[in-house]
Amino acid sequence: MKINVYGSTLAAWVAAACLAKVGNDVCLQECRAGKKKEKLESLGDISVIKDEPGLRDQINLQIESGRLNRVTRTELTDVNVHWLALEPNDQLLAEKIIDAIAIKGAEKTLIINQGNFEVGATATLNARVSEQCPDVLFAYIPDNLEQGNALNGFLKSKRITIGGDTNKAVMLAKGLLRPFCQNIEHMQIMSSKEAEFTKFATTGMLAIRLGYINELANLADQLDVDIDVIREGMGVDPRIGRHYLSPGCGFGGQNFHAYISKFSDIFEEKGKSSLLKTVLDENEVQKELLFRKLWQHYESDLIDKKVVIWGASFKSGTASIDNAPSLRVIDALLSQGVVVNVYDPEALENIQARYGTEIGVYYHTDMYQAAKECDALLLMTEWPEFLSPDYKKLHDLMNQPLIIDGRNIFDKKILAAEGFKYIGVGR
Amino acid sequence: MSVDKTPAWQALAKHAETQKKEHLAELFRQDPNRFENYSYQTDTFLLDLSKQRITSETLELLGDLAEQQQLGKWIDKLVNGATVNHSEQRAALHTALRQPLDKPLLVDGQDVVFDVHSSLLKMELLVAQIHNAQWRGYSGKPITDVVNIGVGGSNLGPLMACEALSGDTHAREISVHFVSSMDGSELSTLLGGLDAASTLFIIASKSFSTIDTLANAKTAREWLVTASKKPVELINQHHFIAVTASPEKAMKWGVPDRNQLLFWDWVGGRYSLWSTIGLPIALKIGMAGFQAMLKGAHDMDVHFRESPFKENLPVLLALMGVWNINFLNIHAHAVLPYDGRLATLPGYLEQLEMESNGKNVNHAGERVAYNTCPILWGEIGSNAQHAFYQLLHQGTEPVMSDFIASSQRYQKQGDELKEQHKLSLVNCLAQSRLLALGDAVQDDDENTPYFKRYFGNQPSTTILFDELTPEVFGGLIALYEHKVYVQSVIWEINPFDQWGVELGKQMATSLLPGFEGTVDETVDASTKGLLKYILRKQGIRDEN
Repeated sequence: MKINVYGSTLAAWVAAACLAKVGNDVCLQECRAGKKKEKLESLGDISVIKDEPGLRDQINLQIESGRLNRVTRTELTDVNVHWLALEPNDQLLAEKIIDAIAIKGAEKTLIINQGNFEVGATATLNARVSEQCPDVLFAYIPDNLEQGNALNGFLKSKRITIGGDTNKAVMLAKGLLRPFCQNIEHMQIMSSKEAEFTKFATTGMLAIRLGYINELANLADQLDVDIDVIREGMGVDPRIGRHYLSPGCGFGGQNFHAYISKFSDIFEEKGKSSLLKTVLDENEVQKELLFRKLWQHYESDLIDKKVVIWGASFKSGTASIDNAPSLRVIDALLSQGVVVNVYDPEALENIQARYGTEIGVYYHTDMYQAAKECDALLLMTEWPEFLSPDYKKLHDLMNQPLIIDGRNIFDKKILAAEGFKYIGVGR
Repeated sequence: MSVDKTPAWQALAKHAETQKKEHLAELFRQDPNRFENYSYQTDTFLLDLSKQRITSETLELLGDLAEQQQLGKWIDKLVNGATVNHSEQRAALHTALRQPLDKPLLVDGQDVVFDVHSSLLKMELLVAQIHNAQWRGYSGKPITDVVNIGVGGSNLGPLMACEALSGDTHAREISVHFVSSMDGSELSTLLGGLDAASTLFIIASKSFSTIDTLANAKTAREWLVTASKKPVELINQHHFIAVTASPEKAMKWGVPDRNQLLFWDWVGGRYSLWSTIGLPIALKIGMAGFQAMLKGAHDMDVHFRESPFKENLPVLLALMGVWNINFLNIHAHAVLPYDGRLATLPGYLEQLEMESNGKNVNHAGERVAYNTCPILWGEIGSNAQHAFYQLLHQGTEPVMSDFIASSQRYQKQGDELKEQHKLSLVNCLAQSRLLALGDAVQDDDENTPYFKRYFGNQPSTTILFDELTPEVFGGLIALYEHKVYVQSVIWEINPFDQWGVELGKQMATSLLPGFEGTVDETVDASTKGLLKYILRKQGIRDEN
């Protein structure tokens, strides 16, 4: 099939690469509102690609095969499918694209909307052109992107939701996704509006769970209770389960954050409810948690202190630092005149791009050397290589053997035995 | 020779004999061009004096009085840092507080403008730290609420500016609160709703010995220590900023040097909002807004220094007051802003005018034989229409009024709000018109019953500006500051001291033991009676 993909989001790149991989003829227009591109950026300069493992290689492969084309302006005719994977705030752009498709008078065309604009957006887009072009069909397919595992998630989907308002549209969408359904466990068909609501509702639910467990951890700190025990107790209850129940120093990332903000806005506007906004606001507070623990440990005096940060990406498996807690902590430390050493196996380049030659930040490629003469180690990302470090080496290098663990990955008894002062989240 | 014996004063007195009999309605009939003839404009302000009971001769004679009193020389003395405050032997350099860095001013060999800007720079850094959410409280949380503890000039100016102005700062919003009253009533209400971990207190006191302020500061510190369970030194370092001219006293109280913002002896309390006392303003509207306010005031300073008296807004405003007070015997002055944002302007001007010119002794130390500052009060004009305007229209007291309004508002808001602004302006104009003309505004006044009659002839000034921006606001306040100074020059009094408030403080200190139960039997019968009554109610036994 001939498919046009629109957007410069991670979802757009992943969809374009995967659709091409299974034999489609894909044309990608990397558009976003307010930015007309005259020249194509080099893949190496596009951060969503760089930060996602394996994505750049896959895109290159598909370009070499000739099935994937990057263009500055798309040809609208003779295409079976238009796939819109735009930013949550780009609904106007989506409308423009759809109007242009309608003007061309396309026949028997499927338009997939993957953008999380608002509940009912796909139907609204459809209504713009339904009279003029009754043969243009619309469906909403939520992206189930998991940053760090995006390619696999698409190619071997376990769950697929199709939001379509006509049988024809659903049938065409199913056909389009058939190559990715080998591992499928759930395929759900519903109206586009319901599917959009489901997407927002799911993301919001996850955020609320994370927000709640973080609040519980902070309370556990106050009450001198170990949150790990509580979490285990809660997790065995089948009504609750174990997923998304690890407290930490706040969630980040491009997509998760953007969706929740969007949904939070809808909630506040239509439902006059501030539940999700509170979750988001508290998450911002949580991002500075490790700074506050350090501040309190040193009695509000960080003058002449040196600190190492292990892990700067917003989660392991990605180099992305979008909305990462590490940024907030580094900013806070620099404001207090603290010297900050940063180590991250993947995200160091991104951190360096952000802080450059700012006084007080040092970039390290060796996690132990980074800790040398430091007064505290702040662990912010759960990279596997941090799980079992050489404790003795670390202890000898540090000026003060203080570990503040933002992801609760260490065993506090082992650390105590190794001579460290350990501070976790809710432990 | 006392000013009231001088030729210029006597000429005015003589002129007033005839002028007193003139009604404003008649003056408007005689001269249809009164507005053109008696209103004055700068780039920013319109000052309309046509509803004052004046003629061109009045203005001429008042100009003579100003010349005779050597006003020009006195203005130079003020802005150049000469000793204009003789009872305390110092300069009054509030104009230097808003002077740009490239216009140095040497006083005793020291460039005070450089010092001013150094102090502002330190303030800017603190403001940035707070706005960037990087000023941390004891728990490491950023500051969200700032409480200004101060009284008099350390309260009224910043409070008024914060209520009047909203900056277009892109910085994080900080909630700014004000606490002044000695009895702790504001503080106790406020503390219940604040999170100690994210609250910062500003102790604003020139002398750092004002009992009202220190009592509130002590309560605030106790509250923080109790909530945080942290040592008092840590609390001092992270939850208090001192704004003062007495750094050693602030240090002794516990505020470290880096949390101190300084100003100087030569800044009068009621002239201090331009100094670091303006910290709450900068926090509320942003440093750029604060700088714009300074610029507006500086522009007014330049106008005051350089314009001929005939076009000089502060001079004209002051001379109108002198004419009304000393020659038309009007001893009440209403300040009537038709703008809810200026609700605290009357309170501010009460201090500025009455503390400055509420004096009865001239430079020579003699009791003056003429009136000085009148009773001044006010309210948002449209609200006052439902309160004391009855007295203005039909009472027995002559009252002069200032009507203050912006000609534009709500440019970016909806039509409903624009309509409300229009309604307010309509009322502003209608009331000043009625006060001036009385029922002459109606055609048929012959058969109106007496209780429905309006005599009119109450003079007023109208001050208009385009929009209430920080810059305009700065200019407006500087306009009144200079007006007050001009009047002090005419009356030959010192506007920069306030000895009248000192003795009361001492008296309070000497009465304090009485509240412990040791009533001094030599005090007057009334005070003794009241004291004993209170002791009885509090269950304390009088030991004498």
